[in-house]
Amino acid sequence: MKNNETRKETIQKLLLRLELWFAPLLILIPLVVSLFFIGDWYSRGFSTGSSVHDGELLLGMLLLFGNLAVDIPFLRSIRIIKKREY
Amino acid sequence: MSFSERTTKDAWNHTKQKMGEYQTELLERLNAIEMDAHWFRRAFHTFAASFLFYYLLPDQSWIQIVKIAIPIAVVAFMVLIEYHRLQGSIDHQRFFGLRAYEKRRPASYLYFGIALLFLLLLFPQQIAIPCILCASFTDPLIGESRYYLRKKKAYLIGFLMSMIFFALTWYQADWWIIIMISFVGAAGAVVGEATKLRFIDDDFLIQMLPALLILVLWQGWLLLRVDIIPPPLILPLS
Repeated sequence: MKNNETRKETIQKLLLRLELWFAPLLILIPLVVSLFFIGDWYSRGFSTGSSVHDGELLLGMLLLFGNLAVDIPFLRSIRIIKKREY
Repeated sequence: MSFSERTTKDAWNHTKQKMGEYQTELLERLNAIEMDAHWFRRAFHTFAASFLFYYLLPDQSWIQIVKIAIPIAVVAFMVLIEYHRLQGSIDHQRFFGLRAYEKRRPASYLYFGIALLFLLLLFPQQIAIPCILCASFTDPLIGESRYYLRKKKAYLIGFLMSMIFFALTWYQADWWIIIMISFVGAAGAVVGEATKLRFIDDDFLIQMLPALLILVLWQGWLLLRVDIIPPPLILPLS
């Protein structure tokens, strides 16, 4: 009974921590979108020999590397804070 | 009760208890995760570039309605949340990474959202895309550079980065247009970022100022019967 109450309390606390729910989205969505841009450039542009989709490759690469440049220190900062705690 | 029945029941209870303990431990561990608000804010900025996906959405009539309705609904929801936060019915502590000065005025994510909405709905993508890229990447780059370099150098780096974004997204235009647009756009982005007003956030200005400057330039050249705008960078899916 007491165990159940503790779990409920922890779940409630977790629900309040919006940033925990946002973090995976912040990392995954840009990666998916950038890969989609690159994939679309490949299927509609590169494989048909058309250069009108080159802009999508450009944006895809920009999104991919721009986000990786921030995601890596972001994940590292979580690890560093965790290490400091233990 | 037979011996085998009792052992099965015991095993079931034991497993249930172990699973419960494991679940609680996992939840507690998740709760213990701490994030650096600084990098969280940076990741939020770069994440915003994903909204460029909007331009890939097909041009069918019902999708056109969705393309207008959803961004407006999202921003209206953000306005509602901010209204309740400022009224005090939603606790300020629930918002991770908010700055101290955002306690008594709308938070920067709302300004970012409103500017993004204006750009997506009111401006051609050739103008909107570099402005969104500036807000997504130049803003955090200037912020990060300020930690290691002087303010002026940080803005210079931001200016050069913005010039690259404008030049890359207008690469299909004539060379003199690329030079003019990248210079004016980058200047607008850096002035927007550097301007600190009480009720208008830099996340709004970094997007809107270059967009308005280029819009004026484009319309001005149109009066002289010169269309400077290049073909779109992203073509919608069919």
